[in-house]
Amino acid sequence: MDTEPIAVALKFGFLAVLYLFLFWVSRSALRELRRTSAPAPEATGFHATAGPGGRSAATDASLVAVHGGGLSPGDRYDLFGGLSIGRSTEADVRIEDRFASSIHARLYSRGASYFVEDMGSTNGTFLNGTALEGEAELADLDQIKIGDTEMRFELELPGDG
Amino acid sequence: MSARNRELLALVPVAVLVTAGFAAVFITRSNEVTDLSLTYGGYFLALCVAAHIFLRIRLPHADPYLFPLCALLAAIGLVVIYRIDDGLAFDQASVFVLGLVLFCVTIVALRDYHVLERYRYLIATAGILLLIGPFITRNETNGAYLSVDLGPISFQPAELAKICIVIFLASYLAEKREMLSVAARRVVGLTIPPLKHFGPLLVVWGAAMLMLVFIRDLGSSLMFFGAFLALLYVATRRFSYVLVGLAMFALGAYVLGTQIPHVHERFDIWLDPFAPNGPAGAGQIQQSLFAQADGGLFGQGLGESLLKLPGPFAPDCQQPFPECGSILPAPHTDFIFAVITMELGLFGACGVILIYALIAARGFKTAVMAPDGFSKLLAAGLTAIFALQAFVIIGGVTKVIPLTGVTLPFVSFGGSSVVANMILLALLLLVSDRARRPRPDRASELGELGR
Repeated sequence: MDTEPIAVALKFGFLAVLYLFLFWVSRSALRELRRTSAPAPEATGFHATAGPGGRSAATDASLVAVHGGGLSPGDRYDLFGGLSIGRSTEADVRIEDRFASSIHARLYSRGASYFVEDMGSTNGTFLNGTALEGEAELADLDQIKIGDTEMRFELELPGDG
Repeated sequence: MSARNRELLALVPVAVLVTAGFAAVFITRSNEVTDLSLTYGGYFLALCVAAHIFLRIRLPHADPYLFPLCALLAAIGLVVIYRIDDGLAFDQASVFVLGLVLFCVTIVALRDYHVLERYRYLIATAGILLLIGPFITRNETNGAYLSVDLGPISFQPAELAKICIVIFLASYLAEKREMLSVAARRVVGLTIPPLKHFGPLLVVWGAAMLMLVFIRDLGSSLMFFGAFLALLYVATRRFSYVLVGLAMFALGAYVLGTQIPHVHERFDIWLDPFAPNGPAGAGQIQQSLFAQADGGLFGQGLGESLLKLPGPFAPDCQQPFPECGSILPAPHTDFIFAVITMELGLFGACGVILIYALIAARGFKTAVMAPDGFSKLLAAGLTAIFALQAFVIIGGVTKVIPLTGVTLPFVSFGGSSVVANMILLALLLLVSDRARRPRPDRASELGELGR
């Protein structure tokens, strides 16, 4: 029996099936990608998002803009993973305030608590009206003031949302 | 269609491919069509279906394509190894059964994989011990310290170590990442973190350099350091860390490379494998390049290419390969990709690379969907190190980077490689199941997905 044609058919058939399979997998992957595009503005949902009123899933504390700094009052910033506040574009929360330094202060969590730390700013950070030296622990509804910008720290209690 | 039905459907082409592959090898060998290839395909399908049923019970929501894609790699590997040597293929098949058992054990034992976070320093220590094990036992292969002999079994600890290191880095960075990601200063367009936060980066860089010194293996240290940088990038979103890390690695590798003769020689071969009076090891990459060129667009056909010469190829052949008449060195492990290119051609080789790319895509998708920091970093890290390993060996064989003896995941012959990658796949599927499990607030979205 001459097996040559079968061998050739198998050779090309193998490649054909392989590529059809890969095409099928990538097509379903693409389709899935389109369907899940809705939820998180920032795909991983991993970093702080700054959308108006936007809260990402893992949040349990947030910083809320009160007035000034070019922020719309009520804007919420997820504190998951910590964030920096300042005048530079590199800051997670960018404020337009002539008294603010480029990276003015930062907020972060350690264990179950949240802290605010002044990053050596020129004009200082004020926590509930008193100038901040180094870092301080944050309590629910604390006021943070940088220059003319006011913000509020909010803890989300279990069952809150 | 549900995720598991999709998985079952995807296993069908895999079974077809393994059958076609074996049939092609049989035809070339004995010039007749036998139904033996159907039997082999049947066995393979039965094993895959068994694993599939297990997944159906334990991880019903896990990613549907990860397992079939890995099975496809295993199928191609088995066919090519069978084409090289029957006995090796039998060993490899037995190792796959063992690997599947460990795959199931991992899934059962680590139902809540977050326990890994608790033992991270223990896991890190185990990983480092595994890595320096071959150096302690002074087991040298081709100038590099890669394997440990335990009685009759020889195993490559780096394969298991990669999982340990990724677990450690994922849990470490999940906890410390806010310290690294809060911005500091910008110098010439680069964000430079405060010096104290550079500590971990320096430690891991130092470890990679030490690896280069002890194991004398550029590819492995590139693999580990690359996975670390990928994780650091996922954790902090600071691309500058990656750039700084890569620059540090390149500098360190260059300085050390000129000092360690083994690494230096590999580098010279990479720059010019056809140099007259070049290093002795250049023959490996020369043969590999010739073999791949021989494949052409569609390849010689499975089993059709000239892989062995009658009579010994090199009298002083040091490869632990059954027949030293092999034209390619280590065709069943390091150079298996060259065999694939030779027999399936450019299209077959690109197909294999595409499989790795799709696995990486599924892995990163899992990371994106994962619910918490540790899961995200774990999935991203495992995927990164898996993809980097494939890159390191495919790149080495095709002369994109200096050659390193790591295995091609799931394809190469080798017990430790198969077992380690099965465990890696099990961990990815565990994360994936957790990530894709419908939650009350996401029910509507997932309902749409399942359609």
